Amino acid sequence: MKKVWNKSLISVGLLAIFLLILSACSSDGSTSEKESEKGGDPGKGEEVQESTTPVTGGKISIGLNAEPDTLDMHKTGMALASIVGSNLGAALLAVDPETQDIKPHMAESYEVSEDGKTLTFKLHSGITFHDGTALTAQAYKDTFDRAMNPDTGAVVAGSLLSDVQEVTAQDELTLVIELKKPSAPFLVFLASGGYLQPLSMAAIEQHGENYGKNPVGVGPWKFNKWETGQSILLSKNEAYKWPQYYYENRESPYPDELEFKFITDYQTKLAALDTGSIDIALYVEAKDIQRYRDNDKFEVKELERQGLGLLMEMNTENEKLQDPNIRKALNMAIDKSILVQAILAGEGTVVDGPLSSNFFGYDPEVENYGYKYNQDEAIKLLESSGWSKNGKGIMEKNGKELSLELLTTAATNQQAQIIQAMTKEIGISIEIQSMESATLIEKAGNGEFDLAFLSYAYSDPDILLLLFHSSQGALNHTRANNPELDALLEQGRTEMDLEKRKELYIAAQKIIVKEAYWVPIYTEKVFHVINKRVHGVKNSATDLLFHDSWVEQ
Amino acid sequence: MGQFIVGRILSGIVVIFGISILSFLLIHFIPGDPVRIMLGQNATPDQIERLTVYLGLDQPLLVQYGHYISNVLQGDLGTSLKTGQPVLTEILDRFPQTVKLAAAGISFAIVIGFTVGTLAAKFKDTFIDRMAMGFAMLGVSIPGFWLAILLIMVFSVKLGWFPIAEGTGLRDLVLPSITLGVLASTIISRLTRNGMVEVLSKDYIRTARAKGLDERVIIVRHALRNVLLPIVTVIGLQIAGLLGGTVILEQVFNWPGLGTLAIGAISSRDFPLIQGTVLFMGIVYVSINILVDISYGMIDPRVDLSMKEES
Repeated sequence: MKKVWNKSLISVGLLAIFLLILSACSSDGSTSEKESEKGGDPGKGEEVQESTTPVTGGKISIGLNAEPDTLDMHKTGMALASIVGSNLGAALLAVDPETQDIKPHMAESYEVSEDGKTLTFKLHSGITFHDGTALTAQAYKDTFDRAMNPDTGAVVAGSLLSDVQEVTAQDELTLVIELKKPSAPFLVFLASGGYLQPLSMAAIEQHGENYGKNPVGVGPWKFNKWETGQSILLSKNEAYKWPQYYYENRESPYPDELEFKFITDYQTKLAALDTGSIDIALYVEAKDIQRYRDNDKFEVKELERQGLGLLMEMNTENEKLQDPNIRKALNMAIDKSILVQAILAGEGTVVDGPLSSNFFGYDPEVENYGYKYNQDEAIKLLESSGWSKNGKGIMEKNGKELSLELLTTAATNQQAQIIQAMTKEIGISIEIQSMESATLIEKAGNGEFDLAFLSYAYSDPDILLLLFHSSQGALNHTRANNPELDALLEQGRTEMDLEKRKELYIAAQKIIVKEAYWVPIYTEKVFHVINKRVHGVKNSATDLLFHDSWVEQ
Repeated sequence: MGQFIVGRILSGIVVIFGISILSFLLIHFIPGDPVRIMLGQNATPDQIERLTVYLGLDQPLLVQYGHYISNVLQGDLGTSLKTGQPVLTEILDRFPQTVKLAAAGISFAIVIGFTVGTLAAKFKDTFIDRMAMGFAMLGVSIPGFWLAILLIMVFSVKLGWFPIAEGTGLRDLVLPSITLGVLASTIISRLTRNGMVEVLSKDYIRTARAKGLDERVIIVRHALRNVLLPIVTVIGLQIAGLLGGTVILEQVFNWPGLGTLAIGAISSRDFPLIQGTVLFMGIVYVSINILVDISYGMIDPRVDLSMKEES
């Protein structure tokens, strides 16, 4: 038991890494929208000017919600640190911003062995760290060994490498990674320029404990200075000539400096954006977005969460909820479109299955077989299980009322109240318990709940294994226990043939919906607002991409 | 005198001792396992165990406190869980910024407070008096964060006169110190007004006027000086309050002082750092209080310090 718990915690760690990772669903959509807007603009001359050659120099300033703990990518547990860190480094592989395909980056090419357990990477030659040392296969090996060494305490980086058996440097530029078992998500991890970038061992030795404030990588930006409580300043790496293949700029960045300012107060962040103190505000709330759309000075980047913004878990070991009819009735009792309107100001999408539509392996059919809002049908289901409404309008069986407890955090109290009102109409009474998120996760993990709110973000459908596997699912709060589903999810993790892998996940989604473990509710849009003096900001599955960006002087 | 100072310092030590117990107990007030809460979902059982031992949470409460207080006495407030830096280093890094802000704030408060108070007293029971005291009332009633946001909206966003989140230069200091100044000036202006009204009716002022002295000289040289004493005490307390009380304003103005450090520590569940800042702010507050009490006696020899101590 202890062993399982141990493993699951590591997997939860993995999940946590991706909690802040965003997906680029509509990068195309927003660009074309922008262009069509311009087409309607009488000032056509401007359009030509917009596409003129980039200008070098200047500074791009980005607002961060908090101060990172450290820029040592092995020691950090904060997603924010990896946002900064990914500019200091680069990854072996890259994810195509549009197709999500895996392509080489720092590796010139790579090969996966027949059994899927040996990965061989040929590194580009001539790549150097900011301190001038050359990037070799040995440097990569040392970096990964450091991350895998328990003494380093690399919570996130270490868990990304947990499937690795051994890393060897075959020759100066050939890196071989042996896996314990084939892992389809592992290639995606290797595309993480934040956590799994090569680090300069020379710098780590030189700075020791203080390396986290003197990081040295191979990326387009070099660390310049860290003003405690205020900002981190990076300056451009003149030697950088190895951007990802999808960038037009093949040289070092156009601006001289990239600055991250720590602004914890949300209103202050918007004020800083309005006054031009920062050029880019990340995570602007839906309620504020219209005013930036209406303002010519700003460009709104609209991404969609890869994952679910709100879902309600149901404890299938619960005396009442073990009856699938009640779980299905709850699915039909909730009018999700009202929640999208009321909570997200319409800036989101209703979800009927466990994955959002931008996942690899998403089954579009779920829109047909997923449960639809239908109160009459829901009541019929409850009645077929022997429940009937009592004088108070609450369903009752053998003198017991159908009342359930819903765990929520303060952030989703409003959603809880709306759902409470909706389920009451079919005779299910919900009692809301609001608590801190760490407590909620702990309670849900221990199975001390009836219903609980959860949200997640992830880059691969392998997340379903964490959420629904009967023994390996660290987040299997619902106590799903379906051998067929377990088998599908295990195969999905190791299947390297993409078409076959997709089929596995489509089958898994069907079971998950049929069993009604969850009430999937919505996925929300994520907004980043950019001052138009900054041109050419693109976005990928995980981040805004700055390498083609330049600043008006 | 010496006896009084020793007494004040001793009672200060008792208070600080109390604060140390409170800040120590902080970690035990949290429902659930604090280590688990600190480490979040990412934690492995091994990490949980290591942190529990590191924080000494596996030992009896009294032993824990003994360790804690003996470390504190040696200037060791622990290590920040987030950055791995000593807590004291983190605090001393930020403290100068808070001092700077509090100093600028109190300067504004003094200027505003004396001006408003003197004007009100000089034009007692007129429209100006009522306006001035209305202003003071407003200063007491307005929540600090609201005034801060209002000033940012008007002077940074709309007019673009002062930057926001640009740094800690002189121009950056203006809006936060005005905000602090307005809030802290209200007591000063009330005390100034009341003191002035009383002093201005004194015989020696009448004499000064009879001598034909300039009214400005009368107010500044003769009246204000005599009003100062109670106000100095209040200013002292205000400084102490500002040093610990700029938490929310620092947040709104993105000022890298102790307040943002404390809030950052709270949101990242960095308990050693939270404990450290609480204790540090407490010590600062108590120390300034003692200094004020002592200076009170020095400014006005009429104050019998030994009597005050007994009462």
